Amino acid sequence: MRSIVLPGDLIATNPKVAGHGTYIENGKVYAKFLGLLDKTDTQVRVIPLRGKYIPSAGDVVVGVVKEVTAHGWIVEINSPYEAFLPSTENPEYKPNKKLNEFLEVDDMIIAKIANIDPKMRATLTMKDRICRPIRFGRIVVINPARVPRVIGKKGSMIKLFKNELGVQVVVGQNGLIWLSGDRRKVNVVEEAIYIIEREAHTEGLTDRITEFIKRRKAENE
Amino acid sequence: MSEDIKLIVNGKRIDGRAFDELRNIRIEAGVLKNADGSCYLEMGRNKIMAAVYGPRKVQPRHLADPVKAIVRYRYNMAPFSVEERKRPGPDRRSVEISKVSREALESIIMTELFPRSSIDIFVEVLQADAGSRTACLNAASVALVDAGIPMRGIITSVAVAKVDGHIVLDPVKEEDNFGEADIPFAFFIRNGKIESIALLQMDGKLTKNELIEAVKLAKKGVMEIYKLQREAIMKKYIVEDVE
Amino acid sequence: MNIITDVRKDYILSKIRDGERVDGRAFDEFRKIEIETGVIEKAEGSALVKLGNTQVIVGVKMQVGEPFPDSPDKGIIITNAELVPLASPIFEPGPPDENSIELARVVDRGIRESEAIDLSKLCIEEGKKVWIIFIDIHALDDDGNLLDASAIAAISALLNTRVPAERFGVGEDFPLPVRNLPVAVTSMIIEDKILVDPSKDEKSVSNSFITITTDVDDNIVSIQKSGSYLLKEEKFYEVLDISIEKAREIRELLKEV
Repeated sequence: MRSIVLPGDLIATNPKVAGHGTYIENGKVYAKFLGLLDKTDTQVRVIPLRGKYIPSAGDVVVGVVKEVTAHGWIVEINSPYEAFLPSTENPEYKPNKKLNEFLEVDDMIIAKIANIDPKMRATLTMKDRICRPIRFGRIVVINPARVPRVIGKKGSMIKLFKNELGVQVVVGQNGLIWLSGDRRKVNVVEEAIYIIEREAHTEGLTDRITEFIKRRKAENE
Repeated sequence: MSEDIKLIVNGKRIDGRAFDELRNIRIEAGVLKNADGSCYLEMGRNKIMAAVYGPRKVQPRHLADPVKAIVRYRYNMAPFSVEERKRPGPDRRSVEISKVSREALESIIMTELFPRSSIDIFVEVLQADAGSRTACLNAASVALVDAGIPMRGIITSVAVAKVDGHIVLDPVKEEDNFGEADIPFAFFIRNGKIESIALLQMDGKLTKNELIEAVKLAKKGVMEIYKLQREAIMKKYIVEDVE
Repeated sequence: MNIITDVRKDYILSKIRDGERVDGRAFDEFRKIEIETGVIEKAEGSALVKLGNTQVIVGVKMQVGEPFPDSPDKGIIITNAELVPLASPIFEPGPPDENSIELARVVDRGIRESEAIDLSKLCIEEGKKVWIIFIDIHALDDDGNLLDASAIAAISALLNTRVPAERFGVGEDFPLPVRNLPVAVTSMIIEDKILVDPSKDEKSVSNSFITITTDVDDNIVSIQKSGSYLLKEEKFYEVLDISIEKAREIRELLKEV
């Protein structure tokens, strides 16, 4: 089992191996927040157990339109920071039409963080295959710190849901997850996601989830 | 101050403790659902609930700092927490305690990571005995860890008093009221090692040597509390494991 | 913050790194202290203190009132500070904020814990009537270190105070029984250096302070670490020694009051 570390715990003495969730002082590498220690020969990092979503360029997020302005949409992304989607970054947008004809307050979208400035002002884009307005399907909310486990190693969990149940899953780094597929099968995925969230820092998770899905599939059939 | 109250009898304190002995401490992490991080703590008869919200959007907005998170700390005593009902709301003492406590925590929180946001720490004293500010800081520190807030280490706090000419650890009410000095400390602890002083106040009368002795005793006390803080966090996450 | 102090930061810091201060003082040197007492005739005691360009006035008023139940035979001290907008562009009108509360409480602790006033001599009728001493700190010009200036002004005003017994019909007026001289010394810590009596200019480069108040016997009667910073234990002992020594010097001035 990976060990739990607290802020300030010494986790390495070689600054070259310092990864995410660490800080360096006087050449020593310390944990920055509560998390699981992930140590390899070339890198140490701390996988957070708790914490808010802090936007970072390239992240896929699921958000809710909060306000329509003259030049775009202000989007709530389950973070201390709001994001802005300029009208020019929405491929559906056509000039000389009103912005709320495309996206209205409370509409949900899948978007990407295009850019984040030092004052933590995030700009979104929807110019990517994965991005879309959400007009059907279901949203599941989890602790953003658990997102990597829901995705799995190289997207293994997402593939599992797709292959075993035919449910399409888009995981927002901000802890909002979009599910689309047969209603009952979506239920199974939602339950599986809650198991992953709860047991994120335990071993053998993939096996347990595979087993869970098979069992529920058999029950449903 | 009544001179006839004996606070030390046969080398023992009024509650039977040795000079360097802490009161019983119980810490539980993650006890509130709404908060991002929380902690319930008992230190002797102090009963403390701490909650952390954040980093989150600053309300009101104009208080936001463009380069770092603002940290707010509210020490609040419940009206029923003391013998005589306390009038609700902040009094001057609470304002001062909130200020120095906030400063202690601010010194290790990596606020620069979260511009334009706030980290709000609310600490409710449900029952007060002496040393409530130190108990509150210990609880707040655990709640911050539980919230996943990036920090350079942990803050651990304890008071030392001079009572009947002796320097004693973690005074109770009577020792605080009738003692000769009270010195609340908080230390920045990293990787199990005391690095520096994060909070220091003192009132009373002490010689320089007594003060140095007090620092030594406080350091011994906080190391014991630090272990309990760690255990509380570990316990919460290991329990989650078993589920 | 004031743009002028802000742009001077680099210069101030660069001087400090070379072991110098912008106003030419040594690190352990106070600015010039001037004490003038009896400046307010309507007050029972008063003092105007100038610490360099920092100016503060303290007035002492006394009233007869009920003692606290837990000390029926003792007088009462109430200390209050007002950082009025006249004294600085960053002070705002309104109820006292945490800075003025902290200032008042630290000054109060120095007086109270050094037992500077013999409160048992301020009992008129046990359990019923005692003297209440109101120490009101009024900032006039904040050029840094209002705290030490206020503490000097407070004890000076108390030394200047006559108890107005006749006015309240409880005997003859008498001087307030002052028996100790607490002195607060505030230091600013920056890059491992200790600067006593920081000016406003200097405060723009660091927010790390500690105030240590000592009495006539070099006892420590109050400590307040202020500002979010971490203080090394060795540094603390260093500040302690400096504070004791500086307080002795300032106490000599108080003896002339």
